[in-house]
Amino acid sequence: MAPHRVQELVGGAKLVTAAMPERLSTSLVLMFGGGSRLEDERHAGVSHFIEHLLFKGTQKRPTSKEIADAIEGVGGFINASTDKELTAYWARVPAEHMELGLDVLLDIVSNSKLAPADVERERMVILEELRMYQDQPQDLVQNLFEEVMWPDHPLGRDIAGTEQSVARLTRDEILEYANAYYRLPNLVVGVAGAVDESAMLELVGSRLTLPREPDGQVVATPPAPLTSPRVRMRRRRTEQAHICLGVRALSYLHPDRFALDLLNTVLGEGMSSRLFLNIRERRGLAYDVHSFTQKHRDTGLLGVYLGVDPKNAVSAVGAVIAEMQNLCENELAEEELARAKEFTKGRLRLELESTNGVSFWLAYQQLLIGSIKTIDEEVALVDAITAADVQRVATEVLRAPIQMAVVGPFAKDSAFRLAVGA
Amino acid sequence: MPGRAATERIRKAIALVNEVADGAGDEELTPTEIAEAIRDCLELREIEQGSNVRKYLGEALDAVSDGMPADFVAMTLYAALGALGESRPEI
Repeated sequence: MAPHRVQELVGGAKLVTAAMPERLSTSLVLMFGGGSRLEDERHAGVSHFIEHLLFKGTQKRPTSKEIADAIEGVGGFINASTDKELTAYWARVPAEHMELGLDVLLDIVSNSKLAPADVERERMVILEELRMYQDQPQDLVQNLFEEVMWPDHPLGRDIAGTEQSVARLTRDEILEYANAYYRLPNLVVGVAGAVDESAMLELVGSRLTLPREPDGQVVATPPAPLTSPRVRMRRRRTEQAHICLGVRALSYLHPDRFALDLLNTVLGEGMSSRLFLNIRERRGLAYDVHSFTQKHRDTGLLGVYLGVDPKNAVSAVGAVIAEMQNLCENELAEEELARAKEFTKGRLRLELESTNGVSFWLAYQQLLIGSIKTIDEEVALVDAITAADVQRVATEVLRAPIQMAVVGPFAKDSAFRLAVGA
Repeated sequence: MPGRAATERIRKAIALVNEVADGAGDEELTPTEIAEAIRDCLELREIEQGSNVRKYLGEALDAVSDGMPADFVAMTLYAALGALGESRPEI
């Protein structure tokens, strides 16, 4: 990967670029700090609501079709996503249309009309989106799991909010929130691809019209510690039981985060992981079993998802817990550690093969961490991790109280509580 | 460590519950018969007091008494069977 460059824009915004001259595309991302964790209960879902609304029309491109046409007319892609700590708007276009991509993205975040009729129409769309999640057990169990991991905290809420909050949000509240967070001090622009880095500062800087002054933003509060295991269950007449269980883990600022990633890889990433081999291949207890991490500024989680025959649900949970325990008690063999490292490094390289991957990776680090590690620096950190490091992190993380969410045809949750000691 | 007798008795109880769950078998099994099969497991001294195996069996017995669906009882018995072979977490 080409070396990156960080440049200061007006108002404290940052421009992060990586020239990849051999590529035919350029990817641009506008990343704003904020996201759903800064929302209070009343405004839950407002960041996601705004993200939807910004595609409805600007003064220059009055309809959603005109916004889409501008980018798709040159074969490009445009989209956005809201996360718990950021919102990102991105476009990937043929390199010669980079200025168009930049213009459209800055237009939608700076000049959107947020017309009352669009607000009402989009409200209905988001309410349907929330109901769709209720009908999809994999989504429902993930939401329940986050609720149980971060009880009474914005991190535990669906990014899209609740039906009540979305139904209640007024256009004025939405405008006020957008005005508070869509400001230059809160923005990182990421660009990767066939670009002239030295020209980008002027190109981007000359188009920035968002407010330059910081607003009195809310500071994220850390979630309260979890002191005991808990189970959250939703009865659904599903053919499979859908289960998420896990523990609080490390933030993206924690020095052991790379060791945690190796631990996660060994436990449940891919078809050579312990969970896949032992629970699916050897014992046939689950169709889908994998682990995952979530990292936030001050906390994180390590979770396991299982899709299992309801009869095997508690046994499978027991088997997962036994695998977690095993990682605490026994050091990894060198061969398994080496394989996990190659997996992690390989996935990172694959992720950074595309211009989109690079622009996101750079902007994400700059926005949330405030500095950027190169791929070589990350690889060196991964290479330096020992089996003892992984076991130490396993012991610190996996012995925390287990939290579990279950969606399935179960009349009561007592057997699940027993499984996690709740 | 609980041994073969425990495994066999739990498997027998599971087979009975599965018959009910699947609607198989010539004669209808009563909850009393299923409860009896579970109690047979609990009577084994090799299943230690306070062990998770015993807790799951107790849970399965309660489920039968509460009139819970056979699938739920089966799941709890499978958990007991699984607990025979798993080391339990220290929570």
